[in-house]
Amino acid sequence: MLIITRISRILSNFQNLVALFAGACIIVSLIGILSLPLVFEGNQLYPKSQLDPASGLYPYNRGGVPFGTTEVICQYPENSPYAGYVTTYLTPLSLYLAENTLYLGTTIVAHPGGIIDEILYNTRGADTVVETSILFTAFAIASYLYRRREGE
Amino acid sequence: MLDIGGDNLFVLEFGDILHYYTPYTATLFLVALIFTGLVIASRPEKQVDIAFGGDAYYAKETTLSEMRFRRFMAIACGLATMGAMGSGDLFNFTLFASLVGIANIGIVAAVKSRHVLDAAYEYGIVAMVATLPLFGGAALILATTGTLSIPALAAGGFAVPLVGKAFLALGVIGEGMAPFYAAKAEMFRAPGAPYVIMCSLSSLLIFLRVVEIVITI
Repeated sequence: MLIITRISRILSNFQNLVALFAGACIIVSLIGILSLPLVFEGNQLYPKSQLDPASGLYPYNRGGVPFGTTEVICQYPENSPYAGYVTTYLTPLSLYLAENTLYLGTTIVAHPGGIIDEILYNTRGADTVVETSILFTAFAIASYLYRRREGE
Repeated sequence: MLDIGGDNLFVLEFGDILHYYTPYTATLFLVALIFTGLVIASRPEKQVDIAFGGDAYYAKETTLSEMRFRRFMAIACGLATMGAMGSGDLFNFTLFASLVGIANIGIVAAVKSRHVLDAAYEYGIVAMVATLPLFGGAALILATTGTLSIPALAAGGFAVPLVGKAFLALGVIGEGMAPFYAAKAEMFRAPGAPYVIMCSLSSLLIFLRVVEIVITI
């Protein structure tokens, strides 16, 4: 049998798919380990220097004044003239959790309003929109599959 | 910088996140846009199986609610593909790619057919695991260069690690199953033509886009 026939026979069976992908991941990871050390660039555009473990919003607390201007490095300063680290727009429940517990940062998607209370850099707003869309798409699939039984 | 996309035709700015359209990405964007329009406008196919050598045949019915859900998922997949085509930010691109992956699963999740769901399950495992190399690649590039903007990385002056690019490509391959269509071919046997083809088209487009990104940065 030709080798290409044999390979295509293995590829055509979707049961082998996970093993194939895992193998590819292992090979690329090995190449990655062999190419170490990778040098960490100290001059980060989004530094994590203001972490405060005592804050209820840890590790998402960015500080800054809502609607105010805070000095911040950004890639395209001309696009965000009012840029700044901003922790803002908490719903009353989230505000209560943030003020009274230390866990809001880790339960950001686990309580009502948490998803839209995403706390991020002012300059990276589109990220928040797409992340939320991923979650809502997943919820839409799950709820459709769950409720489909009712129609039968 | 190896410029394969051509000059910028149009740049859309969301703070630090740019969406830029070169002749290459604009073409891909238009393909996704046209196909999304087709998905919205067209009605699903009705598969008919004929028993060979006789007069018997049976038609596969797609219920209205299933059709509507799959159309919704196909449109979501088209929007995610359009977003991934223009995105000028690595992290944003990875988000759009994973949205394409999850919408692909949604398109076939509504089908009540055993072999289709078997294939979708295998594909779903790969799509879930693929987020690790996908976001890992973007994180590696951010850590070693300090920026995520594709135009800034393309302008030069950064040593983008090869393994970061490899992880990025591997992640997109896993999300879209781009070169290996084994599970997808099985998924296409689901009735409802324009929607299942969206799975294939979106993964082809995000694969073409990640090739451009990997060569450019």
